[in-house]
Amino acid sequence: MSVVTEKLRARSPWRIFVSVIKALFLREMGMRMSTGRSGLFWTFAEPFFQVAVFIGIRIAIVGHSGKTTPYDFAVFMASGFIAFNLFKNILNSSTGAFLANKGLFVYKQVKPIDTIFSRALVELFLTAMIVLIFLIVGLYARRQIVPEDFLLVVAGYLWLAFFAVGLGVLVATANTFYMSVGKVVSISSFLLMIFSAVFFPIESLPPVAQEILLYNPVVHFMEMIHAAYLPHLSNRFVDYGYMLEWTLVPWAVGLWYYVRLERKIISA
Amino acid sequence: MIYLKNVTKFFPTKEGKRYILKDVTLTLPDGNIGILGRNGAGKSTLMRMLGRIEFPTRGTIESPHTFSWPLGLGGGFVGNMTGRSNVKFVCRLYGLDDRRMEEVIEYVREFSELGSYFDMPIKTYSSGMKSRLSFGLSLAFDFDYMLIDETLSVGDARFRKKAKDALMKKIENCHVLLVSHDMKTLREICQTGLLVHEGTLHYFEKVEEAIDRYEEINRSAA
Repeated sequence: MSVVTEKLRARSPWRIFVSVIKALFLREMGMRMSTGRSGLFWTFAEPFFQVAVFIGIRIAIVGHSGKTTPYDFAVFMASGFIAFNLFKNILNSSTGAFLANKGLFVYKQVKPIDTIFSRALVELFLTAMIVLIFLIVGLYARRQIVPEDFLLVVAGYLWLAFFAVGLGVLVATANTFYMSVGKVVSISSFLLMIFSAVFFPIESLPPVAQEILLYNPVVHFMEMIHAAYLPHLSNRFVDYGYMLEWTLVPWAVGLWYYVRLERKIISA
Repeated sequence: MIYLKNVTKFFPTKEGKRYILKDVTLTLPDGNIGILGRNGAGKSTLMRMLGRIEFPTRGTIESPHTFSWPLGLGGGFVGNMTGRSNVKFVCRLYGLDDRRMEEVIEYVREFSELGSYFDMPIKTYSSGMKSRLSFGLSLAFDFDYMLIDETLSVGDARFRKKAKDALMKKIENCHVLLVSHDMKTLREICQTGLLVHEGTLHYFEKVEEAIDRYEEINRSAA
């Protein structure tokens, strides 16, 4: 009668994890596609608009977009905004991941944390697509679009994503029991953008402001990515140890908190 | 075999703890087990615990067998996606390769009789159509135990008969844990009975005995 004659057992935890992540990833992608063209359009258009708006602001202030900076201003903006959007989107999509996927927990192999990982992979995939589009547009427009140190840029993006997932686990777990946590996170992401050196280099600020902003871990990621991308920017403000602390501590606390409450989240 | 060891399950409520099970130790022999109990006694909770999507407050439930997801609880389907892609999703969760996935899709498409709706978003389905899809999907997989929570009443009379027949054929090779208030169904499908009552489990080797006891409880409460 049934089609699957082989009994469903004897799969290693790793195999189960991989097939769950794959299934969730494809499902999330399918949902993105099925929400219509407008959703997908904005995913790709958002960074272009952000860059355009900030170039516009700069023209309004400085007078022209051209050679007041030694580096390509548009490229600086693009690399910053795409990275920040990746961080923001992973964090925001993690926040609601448990509640949105509650129905899937009837399948016991789906652990709540898998939904965060798969959503993060979707964001990474979309970011890669966006980067590709920017590279093509940039090459066509003859900008300095090719990064100075390509691998370091990729490493910066991946590390930033990993950092965001750790925070995401923490926030998603807390959000399941205290709904205001998610609200606070989504509201503060706009403020965070302003104070994260996304559209200005930290060296352009007065020393006092530098000192304050450097407490923000996202600033270090932005500086790392900008410095690796553009030949005229240095990474002298980047503190890798500080970034590592901010990666490991939320991951450790988040996992501890999650593991304690996993069962509650499943049957909530 | 299903082994319950010192299983306690309660839900905290405003009036204090509401116990479903109080320190229950029991070994359930394999078979088609009907689960009975009054409303709110904890039948569904027990079933969810066996499906490992709900957990005992204390104690353990162990079994060497595989259990299906609890049928009839709904959920798990994405409204924006088609019936086909929802079926694909579940196949991927169980790690099926492409060939077997195609077989499952074909089986579910045929069984559910959804026609062209199979390739339309689930949100356009009626509730009957949804349960036909989920019932067909569950029949496509082989588990040692099927967990069924009152879903034998899907669709119209003809489809109900077809579903019943398919299930009867299916359970020749696997066992069923069935929650139902319909004594006729319980008698037809189950050999043994499990009564959930006032925080404890009563196992009966004959489902008929479980039904008698259940009706006794109902009478005394009335």
